[in-house]
Amino acid sequence: MPSRARGWLAVAAVVAVGVALTFGVQERYHHRVLTLVFLWAAMGLSWNIISGYAGQISFGHQVFFGIGAYVTVLLIVKAGLTPWIGMIVAIGVAVLAAVLIGMPTFRLAGIYFGLATLAYPLIFRIVMDWLGFQEVAIPMKREQPGWFMQFSDPRSFDLLALAVLAATLMLSRAIETSRLGYRLRAIRENEQAAEAMGVDSFRCKMIAYMLSAAPAAVVGAVYVHAILFIVTPEAVFGLLVVSQTLVVCLVGGTGTLWGPVIGAALMVPASEILDTTVGDRLPGIQGVVYGGALILIMLYAPEGLYWRARQLLLGRAGRGTDAARSAVVAPAQDGAAAVAPMDRALLEVRGVSKAFSGLQALSDVSFDAREREILGVIGPNGAGKTTLFNVLNGFLAPDVGQVRFLGHDATGQRPSALCRLGVGRTFQVPRTFPHLTLSENVMIGAFVHVRPVPDARRLAHAALGRVGLADRADALPSGLTTLDLRLMELARCLATEPRLVLLDEPLAGLSGDGVAVMIGAIRSVRSLGATVVIIEHTMQALLSLADRLIVLDQGRRLAEGTPTQVTQDPAVIEAYLGKRWLARMGGR
Amino acid sequence: MLAIERLGVSYEGLHALADVSLEVAEGEFVTIVGPNGAGKTTLLKAISGTAPSDAGRIAYKGQDLGLLQPSARAALGIAHVPEGRRVFPSLTVMENLELGSYRRTARAARSQGLEEVLALFPVLRQRQRQLAGSLSGGEQQMLALGRGLMARPDLLLLDEPSQGLGPRIVEQIFETIDRIRRERRLTILLVEQRVVEALELCDRGYVLETGRVVLAGGREALLADPRVQRAYLGA
Amino acid sequence: MGAAELVQYVATGVLVGGVYALMSIGLALIFGVMRVVNFAQGDFMMLGMYLTYFYTLSGVVDPLLGALLTIPPFFVLGWIVHRGLLARVTGGGDPQRQMDAQLILTLGLSLVITNATTMILSPTPLGIRTPYATQAFALGPVLLNQARSYAFGMALLLALAVYGFLTRTDLGKALRAAADDPEAASYQGIDVRAMHGLAFGTGIALVAAAGGLLATYHPIEPTVAGNFIVLMFVAVVLGGLGSIPGAFVGGLVIGLVQSLTLLVLPFQLQNTGVFIVFLLVLYLRPQGLFGRRARTV
Repeated sequence: MPSRARGWLAVAAVVAVGVALTFGVQERYHHRVLTLVFLWAAMGLSWNIISGYAGQISFGHQVFFGIGAYVTVLLIVKAGLTPWIGMIVAIGVAVLAAVLIGMPTFRLAGIYFGLATLAYPLIFRIVMDWLGFQEVAIPMKREQPGWFMQFSDPRSFDLLALAVLAATLMLSRAIETSRLGYRLRAIRENEQAAEAMGVDSFRCKMIAYMLSAAPAAVVGAVYVHAILFIVTPEAVFGLLVVSQTLVVCLVGGTGTLWGPVIGAALMVPASEILDTTVGDRLPGIQGVVYGGALILIMLYAPEGLYWRARQLLLGRAGRGTDAARSAVVAPAQDGAAAVAPMDRALLEVRGVSKAFSGLQALSDVSFDAREREILGVIGPNGAGKTTLFNVLNGFLAPDVGQVRFLGHDATGQRPSALCRLGVGRTFQVPRTFPHLTLSENVMIGAFVHVRPVPDARRLAHAALGRVGLADRADALPSGLTTLDLRLMELARCLATEPRLVLLDEPLAGLSGDGVAVMIGAIRSVRSLGATVVIIEHTMQALLSLADRLIVLDQGRRLAEGTPTQVTQDPAVIEAYLGKRWLARMGGR
Repeated sequence: MLAIERLGVSYEGLHALADVSLEVAEGEFVTIVGPNGAGKTTLLKAISGTAPSDAGRIAYKGQDLGLLQPSARAALGIAHVPEGRRVFPSLTVMENLELGSYRRTARAARSQGLEEVLALFPVLRQRQRQLAGSLSGGEQQMLALGRGLMARPDLLLLDEPSQGLGPRIVEQIFETIDRIRRERRLTILLVEQRVVEALELCDRGYVLETGRVVLAGGREALLADPRVQRAYLGA
Repeated sequence: MGAAELVQYVATGVLVGGVYALMSIGLALIFGVMRVVNFAQGDFMMLGMYLTYFYTLSGVVDPLLGALLTIPPFFVLGWIVHRGLLARVTGGGDPQRQMDAQLILTLGLSLVITNATTMILSPTPLGIRTPYATQAFALGPVLLNQARSYAFGMALLLALAVYGFLTRTDLGKALRAAADDPEAASYQGIDVRAMHGLAFGTGIALVAAAGGLLATYHPIEPTVAGNFIVLMFVAVVLGGLGSIPGAFVGGLVIGLVQSLTLLVLPFQLQNTGVFIVFLLVLYLRPQGLFGRRARTV
């Protein structure tokens, strides 16, 4: 990630180039192309906010474009209101529309979200038809052309469009470098992990959607004045608008400022020139070019040209060969006896039951986790361990029963809320944010308690240092060993300053050395003052690590006690190996 | 029939299997036991080709399975009855069985195969037109077993047939497996969590723990070996 | 408005719905087996309309036969498109990314097909003249347009043929198995990638045939896809993504909704009812009538 200053400098450079082109270009037609490049880049940037950064691919973004066009023009026609003010009204309407559309639609997942976004522009088209606005022409205002955005000098439109682009660039940059921007990218990379790290994904998506609606409305308003002159539902709510937006972003690269700029700079002139030169003989050449571009990009560079170029130029990032790693880790004090568990219950689970379509996953499970203890949860396959964690963590709500955390009722709350209360979690298969560096991964956790980005970065570095990964802070997760990934996940979890840490099979897939390092890290978590609850299958390690063990079998709590007690309990042996094994071994 | 040398498999960066070597001779019944997470299912997936290996070699009837697609391996006579049964829920019992004999050599003997399987599992004959998704767990397991047998395989891979089933059904299933073993000339590789039942059925066994083979031996030796318990409970 | 008039609207709706049903089955098959939302479905239908038109130019081929004859070439086309394009998009291994990438690929394909057709052929609408397009059967007080009736009948036959294929042949069952559980299917020796190609080819062939049937009473132009693609999506979602019988029922329902909407709204707004149904389904019961999974956050 480039430094903050460099980013703003680059934005200024783009604006400077834009200005230079505006005054350098001579032909009226070329000015039109320039205006279009600026406008589509801005439109792409606005789409990028919700679909690039947040990863919610919307096929209906032209709704806001159309709102911008219609509101400004209708206000001129009906109220004689200057579009300069009309634009502001349009922004308001667009943001309101974003709220109304977003609220129900963000509850849909995956493909259903995309399909739903298709419907809205179609509905707007129908409504506009029905209201009788099939063709609304902008009335000529010869007396006050500037006041009504009717410039005779094409350079004025260029500058106006450039101003829109500049504003959208600045908005995007501000988002990119803010806490919201990091959180949006976390949602895109792995929404569940983001929730577990305290990110309220619904709220973030709504904010992003509202922020993405405003520039789109402005682009629509300017487009209608600079290019269209007559507003029809097809022209502003139609498929070509969203196709152009998509092409610009996908060709250039999603999730980055530069993508839409590059995409627009490449695609718009190409298609415009083709349209002028052969457009008469080959109507529809634009569509073919755009469609072909989409196909080629998906086949060969699905992330977009910007990322592909970056990959080629910078080489493969951080292919860590991390063969011989000495057991680093741990803060000052260590040793199992250094910090003894206290007697107060941090977590109280009472009578929790959970069933899935006929299968009783958890049945009346009750236990306590005391402050500063390391509690192990074990049990044969299908015992309900991960379901239990999902309940404790907020991914599932129990059918019956209560979970109390720090004395408050925590039953059924969202994972992000629980995280903010102090419940942290790692996952069985490490859920990293693959396109964020280790430092950025951990920052997501730090953002629970701090807002400014530099503060979060400092905390993240400190956390990475504690687990011995400070030197890899700017590497990407791909290419890291399992051990490093788990340590990073732990650091990210610790950055949320949890009181309770839920570790889901933290030792899975680790070799002997790795297990030792991880055990050390887990012990150090306890010495930081947190309570640890671990699910594990690797019994050897857990026996020396855990203060107490709880055994689940078929959703019920089977036994509870010290490791020695539990592993010698006949009921436990029977649960794991069967009654007949027990009988054979004479019930040792 | 099956020779595995120093097999290594990683999932998303996690090492699921490391340096695993074992072999199964023609007509043998070999069991692999071990606690959850030991890599038993991964081993069977590697043999079937749905888990890519990054080290070692799997040879079937002398042929290196190498890069063969899963469907190609099934065509060679390997029948995999997967963990969790994985019957096709929107197809009927009969259709599931018919698909078991999808491969060419089995297709020719389909009606004979159906008769044999339905004789083995009478409850399936009763429910032949029912959707597989509506069957109980035990019935689905029988269907999955029957589907596997329809392929007239040379090597039968069974992945935790007892999983999620009540004790009485489990007994039935194991009895049936024993019967299958006695009545047909099949080579069987069974993966199980339930130690005694699995070991009692087999000729030889391996114990897997965290991706490695920690014990190997004949049936009686393993049944009497307390170290098996340590693999499960660590003590 | 009397009962007879209502029945008339219902009858027309069902007739039209039959063709929608055939279009939607293709889409549902593709999604059910491959988890791909094929944006280009409507464009392949458009191409099917043109091919049928060219068949009828010969003077000996009746458009209904022409519709049937679109099936072989479009099956091959679908297979090639799958092998050459869709199968090569992986989205970097992540299944959600792959679905997004394939979706965008089909969107690009849709743009290319529509616009290339506009380029190569004239945008002026064409029509197939048949004697029965202007005649109607009388069923009591209800008039059934002959072209639409024949199209409905043919659509029904083709749908039954597909149903038979899926339920009675080994290949059809293998397709359904690959849709249910690709991993388990491969254990039976089913080549899942080939199944995808088969599903795509069949889906394209079906929608092309539907286009041919549509062409007996609807003008043929390059942009016709846009009118129908949304109807297909709604029908498939209503029936339940991935369910073939569901898509058939969904198509019929959409035809009915469209027709009944005309009782209260003018012709340009005939799809309003359809969109309302769409949004209702997405919010109240995303898995549709026969679908298997509901996906909500």
